[in-house]
Amino acid sequence: MFINWALQEINLKIVYYGPGMSGKTTNLEYIHSKMDPSLAGELVSLKTKEDRTIFFDFLQLEVGRIKGKKPKFNLYTVPGQVYYASSRKVILNGVDGIVFVADSQKHRMDGNIETLLDLENNLREDGHSLDKFPWVIQYNKRDLPDIDSIENLQKRLNYFNVPYFEAVAIKGTGVFDTLKAIINKVVANVQNQL
Amino acid sequence: MLQTRKLKDGSKQIILNGKQFEGVTKVLSELAAKTKASAILFADMSGQLISQRGNTDKMNTTVLSALAASDFAATAEMAKLVGEDAKFKLLFHEGEKRNVYLSNVGDNFFLVVVFDTSVTLGLIRIYTKKAIQNLLEIFEDQSNMTEDSAKDLIDSEFGSLLGDALDESFK
Repeated sequence: MFINWALQEINLKIVYYGPGMSGKTTNLEYIHSKMDPSLAGELVSLKTKEDRTIFFDFLQLEVGRIKGKKPKFNLYTVPGQVYYASSRKVILNGVDGIVFVADSQKHRMDGNIETLLDLENNLREDGHSLDKFPWVIQYNKRDLPDIDSIENLQKRLNYFNVPYFEAVAIKGTGVFDTLKAIINKVVANVQNQL
Repeated sequence: MLQTRKLKDGSKQIILNGKQFEGVTKVLSELAAKTKASAILFADMSGQLISQRGNTDKMNTTVLSALAASDFAATAEMAKLVGEDAKFKLLFHEGEKRNVYLSNVGDNFFLVVVFDTSVTLGLIRIYTKKAIQNLLEIFEDQSNMTEDSAKDLIDSEFGSLLGDALDESFK
């Protein structure tokens, strides 16, 4: 978190983390498409020719002034594929809150678990821990056939009992609820910790 | 003195007070005047733009800061892989019309200097180095210390008003 007292600006960094093709970029694309252009900046995507995120996507949101203060939210995604591990670590630099986007399809459970462990490791290297850090889970692709039950996903992934949201990011279902929840968690975290 | 606070969960909070911001802006203006750089950005390592000078109207400096921070972070990883213990101190991107010179300012910040190829790199290097020294002095100056706390800025009323503002923006 970076605070510029002179301009009364509060900058927060939120990272969308998750396995490859789970819908992290789709979340940002939906937010970008629905927000007033005066509040959402340009969506920057560093993609490969095959449309896979190679480094990150970036989107800055504002909501105007609140009690004279200007909060700014910098949203990032990480590349999901296993071999971009070092890129993921780099994006976590200075992170204030995390959305873990899980793929609800049964055959992606191992990928979800592997990425969650990767997140935990990367956070630990930076001195964070998942049990204290502000984060939420989004169970995406709820419209697809052959998906796991929420109960099972909860049991396998949500062992710190963080808030979770069911989503169909491509249609926008659950996207804003997830974003709002993580922003609230980050803000509450600031109040609780000082 | 720059106010950084480590929260219980390990995350870091950096607060720049009014006096420091004023100082930073002054250093940037001087650097812009001396180097004739097209644009100068000062940002923090997580990619958040703090101050800018020069002809930045047609430049998306928010995105430029985010990319530059990632550039730094990526080369820090590169440094480790090639056996360089410290981080690389500066990055230089050479173009046909414009060059970009990036240099860290302590552990938390960095400077981006965009300049035409007609300006020599040596000139940029000398003045940027001086500017970095001045910036570090501002952050180390004990008399710049204030009692600003994020808690005063982000109270519980702020939290609920923010919730309403988010609902409004997401309609």
